[in-house]
Amino acid sequence: MSSTTYKNTKVPILSPLQVSANDAKELEFGTLTDNRYLLKTKSRNGKPLRQPISDAPHYYISVITYLNYLIIIILGHLHDFFETIFFPENFYNVTEHNGYAPWFTKFESFFPRRMKKRIDDCFSRPTSGVPGRFINCIDRISHNLNEYFSFPGTSTLCLNLSSYNYLGFAQSKGRCTEHALESVAEWGPGCLGPRNTCGTTSLHLKTEKLIADFVGKEDAIICSMGYGTNANFFNSILNKRCLVISDELNHTSIRTGVRLSGAAVRAFKHNDMEDLERLIREQIVQGQPKTHRAWQKILICVEGLFSMEGTMCNLPCLVALKKKYKCYLFIDEAHSIGAIGPVGRGVCDYFGVDPNDVDILMGTLTKSFGAAGGYIAGDKTLIDMLRLNLSFSNYAEPSPPPVLAQIYSSMSIIKGDLNPGEGEERLARIAFNSRYLRLGLQRLGFIVYGIADSPVIPLLLYVPSKMPEFSRLMLQRNIAVVVVAYPATPLIESRVRFCVSASLTKEDIDYLLRHIDEVGDMLFLKSSSGKMGGSLDGKPPRWDIEEVIRRTPEDCKDDKYFLI
Amino acid sequence: MSTPPQHSHTHAPVFNFELLHSIVLSFADRLFEESNKIPVFKYIVQYIRKSHQDDPYRTMIELCLIIYGIIYFLAKPKKTRAHNANNLYLSNKETNLLIEEWEPEPLAVPISEDVDKSGAAWRLKSIPKIVKYYNSKPNYVDLQVNGAENTYTNVLNMSSFNFLQLNTHPEVMDAITETIKNYGVGSCGPAGFYGNEDVHYNLEYDLAKFFGTENAVLYGQDFCVAPSVLSTFAKRGDFIVADNQVSVSIQNALSLSRSTVYYYQHNDMDSLESLLIKINEDEKHEPIIHRKFIVTEAVFHNSGDLCPLDKIAELKEKYKFRLFLDETLSLGVLGAHGKGITEHFGFEKTGSVVDIVVGSMANVFGLSGGFVLGDDVMSYFQRIGSNAYCFSASLPPYGAKGCSAILDVLKRDNSTVLNLQKNSRKLHDLFFSTTSILNYFQITSSEYSPIVHLSLTPDFRYSKFGSTLEDIYAKLLKQQETCKQDIEIEEFNKEEFFLQSIANKVLERGNILIARNPHALKHESLPISPSLLVCCSSSMSDEEIVKSFNVIKEVIMEVV
Repeated sequence: MSSTTYKNTKVPILSPLQVSANDAKELEFGTLTDNRYLLKTKSRNGKPLRQPISDAPHYYISVITYLNYLIIIILGHLHDFFETIFFPENFYNVTEHNGYAPWFTKFESFFPRRMKKRIDDCFSRPTSGVPGRFINCIDRISHNLNEYFSFPGTSTLCLNLSSYNYLGFAQSKGRCTEHALESVAEWGPGCLGPRNTCGTTSLHLKTEKLIADFVGKEDAIICSMGYGTNANFFNSILNKRCLVISDELNHTSIRTGVRLSGAAVRAFKHNDMEDLERLIREQIVQGQPKTHRAWQKILICVEGLFSMEGTMCNLPCLVALKKKYKCYLFIDEAHSIGAIGPVGRGVCDYFGVDPNDVDILMGTLTKSFGAAGGYIAGDKTLIDMLRLNLSFSNYAEPSPPPVLAQIYSSMSIIKGDLNPGEGEERLARIAFNSRYLRLGLQRLGFIVYGIADSPVIPLLLYVPSKMPEFSRLMLQRNIAVVVVAYPATPLIESRVRFCVSASLTKEDIDYLLRHIDEVGDMLFLKSSSGKMGGSLDGKPPRWDIEEVIRRTPEDCKDDKYFLI
Repeated sequence: MSTPPQHSHTHAPVFNFELLHSIVLSFADRLFEESNKIPVFKYIVQYIRKSHQDDPYRTMIELCLIIYGIIYFLAKPKKTRAHNANNLYLSNKETNLLIEEWEPEPLAVPISEDVDKSGAAWRLKSIPKIVKYYNSKPNYVDLQVNGAENTYTNVLNMSSFNFLQLNTHPEVMDAITETIKNYGVGSCGPAGFYGNEDVHYNLEYDLAKFFGTENAVLYGQDFCVAPSVLSTFAKRGDFIVADNQVSVSIQNALSLSRSTVYYYQHNDMDSLESLLIKINEDEKHEPIIHRKFIVTEAVFHNSGDLCPLDKIAELKEKYKFRLFLDETLSLGVLGAHGKGITEHFGFEKTGSVVDIVVGSMANVFGLSGGFVLGDDVMSYFQRIGSNAYCFSASLPPYGAKGCSAILDVLKRDNSTVLNLQKNSRKLHDLFFSTTSILNYFQITSSEYSPIVHLSLTPDFRYSKFGSTLEDIYAKLLKQQETCKQDIEIEEFNKEEFFLQSIANKVLERGNILIARNPHALKHESLPISPSLLVCCSSSMSDEEIVKSFNVIKEVIMEVV
């Protein structure tokens, strides 16, 4: 590993694409091609989710997956062994020298050196312009097994299945951008200081009021970073005599935040309500470890929509449990707010649950609203206390004006206050697109996780070596996708994650399906048993692609094809 | 060897070993015949046959052991949680009763109005709400305090951290609006997944070039940077020596790092050196070298003074420690070209002295986000291991482009930095030369910092509130330890209320906004002192500074 690996090379800044204004608009947000490709989500009216069914692939896939890891690891160690003998200077950066310990030891850096670096060309692809319906990926040439990249200065337009642009608000034209530009002229591009000295503007308060109104809570507070909202929230309401009962798949930001608060943590199995109830009962009875004093508070932490699984929390059950045992409920709506529910108000809206039954609603503004930051919504007492006690309102910078303007206008569009009808169309499009792609993939025979209406669609690849291959093959076909593996997922469940957007048209998804079908055959990915959907007769579904494209757009509107 | 088992019912119910033996043998025989077809098994079977002939009982015992092993393996594992040994065993009825009895504390306690006790309602009311900002004269704002009836127009803002005000420079504004027109507002993804655009990578390159390090890594918010980057590298078993007056951001970093943390007395180099010697002594007995860090701030967030970087740099070289420096308030402020404390102390490049520099684009550059400067190897691993980088959306592209434009302006023309330094010195000189204020207030900040930190002298604090900082700190620790829902320290509250009343009067009388240094007691784990902040910016005129100083002085003399 020579030092070229780490070098700071300059990525060229590309000039904006030379296309007509109308084409530029289409590239960011495709016009709806037919009214049939809309779907209005219905509220579940308090009906809880079914017990989750999981589809496991044939056992030989698991064996191959483990073997795959084994081979990578053995080869990596062999590599290391010979390299230490013949090229010891390559290890200069990961071994002690000059009396200093390395930043990462040889052991700690084994994974990045021997595994991640091999597939580095699939990550951190630089882009340019708006991450809308299409994303403009800057071409790069990999040298010497991703040792370093060079940039020829060209770019490729790819269909964007990677950005969290659920409602398609990543746009450089339209009301939102106009408002953002106006706000720069009126308020300047940045802020003056932390919220509690002179950083609070009427723009902040106006936006917070709108958010509170949108999610159905009394008050809300905005933070300038989504990760930071969680990471610095829990220490304001919890201490070491409180307990957090957390879903095992919760996001790192929640874990960081809870760790910082010092509260005790117990995890329950993902979405397993029986396990949760057992755990709550046990913890109330047992109390704190050693002293057996009762817990001061018990907070149940879940995510609305799990970003790697596409599954949703079982809100009606959670609310029932929370009421029965007097716990508090925290929901991280990072991916669900805006994207889910008949009127886009997140999980409460989707399940038809009163938002007042959830104590704390947290969400991010990066995803559906095309802005940045996060919010926490709750009762007025709670938010007032938080305004004074949160570390980010005392020490960190507030959200800048263009971001606030983007949030305000995109939220107003969803609500229908601005450009009436547009928000409704966006919601109907993402609902249709999500279901169409999901059912299409299931019918083709892929194993897909998650619930029917989730715009996050993870397609299971299992074998880690298929991950870079899938990503590269898709890039060749001008489709940008995100592949994820351990540690973000369980070891053997490497996957590709499609983030569906309202900006995609039905034809874009057809294009996507055709290519996934081809790549899926090449990589032997069609291994579902039909248990999780895509098949009504219990046989493994292996539909022909033309049949899928012909029938799915109508079928996907019918609940009977999904496990709901 | 194939006695059929049909006679079994004729025997008395005594354990018949012979019979069992024969059953097993017949079963084994058939199994052997089957397995003969597989080539390798032949040899295994032959081996077992032979050993059985020599000692039949041994085979039986071995078989039993194998069966026991299988049962043991398949049996449900007993719970192994550490606290389980300590668990209570209760009947169902008792359990239900306990569950019914349990009453949690409320999620949040309502804020009380009572100032004397420790009510915090006044704090909420005293947060100013900016209602108008003037791009053309960024030192002035219109604001409201506690509702629309208390509106102040054209207020001189002396609490802003946007010292250089380059964010409203025409070139920068052009770059920002142009970027919004071409990139939209949000980046819609984390850095690893198509979230980092060309403008982000370019800013990283520009930052590294400007400040003289090999590389830079961008973050979405400055406050999150230190906790994330320090915990990436300082792991269990590593050592951290930190100043005992670091800000909350670094306190969070220390508590997340899982390393062994030692504190040295604020800016006391002897105290630091003795700790470094002690750690190196202790480490001699260990087989490997650990990562060792000195953690401090360039301009202290809580007191405004500078760290003696020259001496720390010497010590760090001597004892083989790495230096982690929070420069959120010093980049763009110190040094002739605004390159921070390293330039201020005459070092050629930031990267030559400091290993990890934490910077902010929010304070001095007036945009948003944070960044880490350092060498290439550190940055490479940071992009893999740092949580706030990997798991968070990258900052809006317009901010990245705007910051690049600011660096361009600074590279060409450092007059704003020089002006700021002149103003800082002027403001500090005014305070330092006024003994009537110094009788009651001490100024802890350095004259190079554009923020004047005014806090009560210990004597005045004692005579006015009967408290000392040590007392307050002891109370704070005690309340944190006993996990009180709301931390209430009466003396602290009164002192802050007193400071706020000064700020309010300054606003009423002189139309000048100064601020209390905000503290959230829940998060402070080190000794703190309430203080007032008076900030200047590079575009303030001498008259503005003198006039506002006079108002502050007048108000202070009135209330003490």
